[in-house]
Amino acid sequence: MTVSGRTYGQRMTPPRSSPPRLSDTAKAAASVALAVYLIGLVLSIAGNSVSGSSALMRTIKGRLFSPWMQPAWLDLGFDQPFTYGLPEDADHTLEIRSQGGKPVTMRFPGERTGEQAARWRRLARTIAVAADDDAAPPLTAGVAAGSFADIGSEDVTVRVLRRPLPERAAPDSDARPRQPHAARVRRVAGEIQVIELGGAAKQPEMAPLLREPTRAAPLPVAEEDADE
Amino acid sequence: MSEAAVNPPTDVRGTAADRVIHTWLDYWFAPADPRPLAAVRILTGLLGIALAMSYAGDLVTWFGPSGMIPPEAVDGWRPRVGVSPLDGVTTSAGLQVFFAVLVAALAAITIGFASQIACVVAALLWAALLSRAPMLVGPADDCLAVLLWCLAVGPCGAAWSLDRAIRDRRGLAAALPSPWASTSLGLLRVHATAITLGVLLAQLKGDDWWNGTAAWWLAAAPETPLVDLTGLYRRSEYALNIVTHGIVAFEILFATGLWFDASRQIVCRVGLVAWPVIGLLAGEPLFGFAMATFCVPWTWRPRP
Repeated sequence: MTVSGRTYGQRMTPPRSSPPRLSDTAKAAASVALAVYLIGLVLSIAGNSVSGSSALMRTIKGRLFSPWMQPAWLDLGFDQPFTYGLPEDADHTLEIRSQGGKPVTMRFPGERTGEQAARWRRLARTIAVAADDDAAPPLTAGVAAGSFADIGSEDVTVRVLRRPLPERAAPDSDARPRQPHAARVRRVAGEIQVIELGGAAKQPEMAPLLREPTRAAPLPVAEEDADE
Repeated sequence: MSEAAVNPPTDVRGTAADRVIHTWLDYWFAPADPRPLAAVRILTGLLGIALAMSYAGDLVTWFGPSGMIPPEAVDGWRPRVGVSPLDGVTTSAGLQVFFAVLVAALAAITIGFASQIACVVAALLWAALLSRAPMLVGPADDCLAVLLWCLAVGPCGAAWSLDRAIRDRRGLAAALPSPWASTSLGLLRVHATAITLGVLLAQLKGDDWWNGTAAWWLAAAPETPLVDLTGLYRRSEYALNIVTHGIVAFEILFATGLWFDASRQIVCRVGLVAWPVIGLLAGEPLFGFAMATFCVPWTWRPRP
């Protein structure tokens, strides 16, 4: 059947011709771009290893490549061993419990499964592994503050629980969860306060006060501590 | 006496240099069939949707106005120049719109609609999402970012796509072998090797990958593995060693075999099965799927 000059029921594609080729200029430009990218890729792998990198490599990568590779999420080391058999490689969960009154507990990943649960376990592991870093209290505070509304309290305990990896030769080894990190987080006079309760090996201590950026007035720390 | 006879070493060097240049140009720019790229595009779209959906349920819980991961809390985990446009999205509605655009771009990649544009959009939004909270990122997320950028370079919508159907309907020229397909496939091969070497180097820094017990620790994490092999490993240390060393041996063979014509097809066919199995054993099934996606272009020879 022919309609408007076209034959239906047949493939309406013109016959193939010779494949397009790039001009020498285009090849040269693309080659330079590819060579630069490949150097960046090698530096990314070398510079993001768990063993660290040299100052020279860090400087070259940081000055020339990271500014455009990191925003594109291409500054990657792919250093994924899956496991080293360390305690940090065990499964971690997050538990947030209200202080005082009727206790309310939220657990993450809870009933979630698959990759969604894996993301919560990564978050819990990050908090546990970074417990001694300066970066950890803001994250702990953020996690706690984000739960205030759901849990109905502005004074909570954040705990990371770790299920120890059983030894192959000791099937009856103690499988009770460990607590690598715990902190009490509360909002006092609009300010978030993080009190490290310590993990299994740490003594309780008063952590730095985290001030919300919108508030300028300092919190009377001494009075609060005295109340304690 | 001819000039060539006077300066033979120069000619030899010139020949070698020519050979290197020709090899380079042939590897990156020889016109290639876009169909393998189309297969990667479809699988990448599906992988992207699966990974994006793992954010969907907790998007507001994490990044919402009162979210658990406020932007200032992740500074310690971000690279020096790491930024995320998502930091500026502070409302639940804004987050939902951002996420809807991301999923729409991934769906467009899957069906092949405005494929290359969709790849660029998805790659940018995916990078923004990952940069927003780097501590949530897993190995499959990294692979997806790489796949999206590699696809954005080549004519990934030239076959098995809505783009192609539209072109056919309009009577436009059929998809021809393209030099950019070669560039895109070349980047996929480079990255498949780079990721495998990255994993391999990281593994070989640990004693457990040398003494053959790493597979036990993979299986022993109660929540992680999707296949419980602890009973087998308890009964047989050799089985444990075989699995551990088998993973490392496969990774070595894969990273090298990709670069030889004689072995490429077979290692990719093996990889199509082996990577998902490694993903299952390691509790990272989507990483296994992503690596299998890298194998697809070389598992068959498309007919002309």
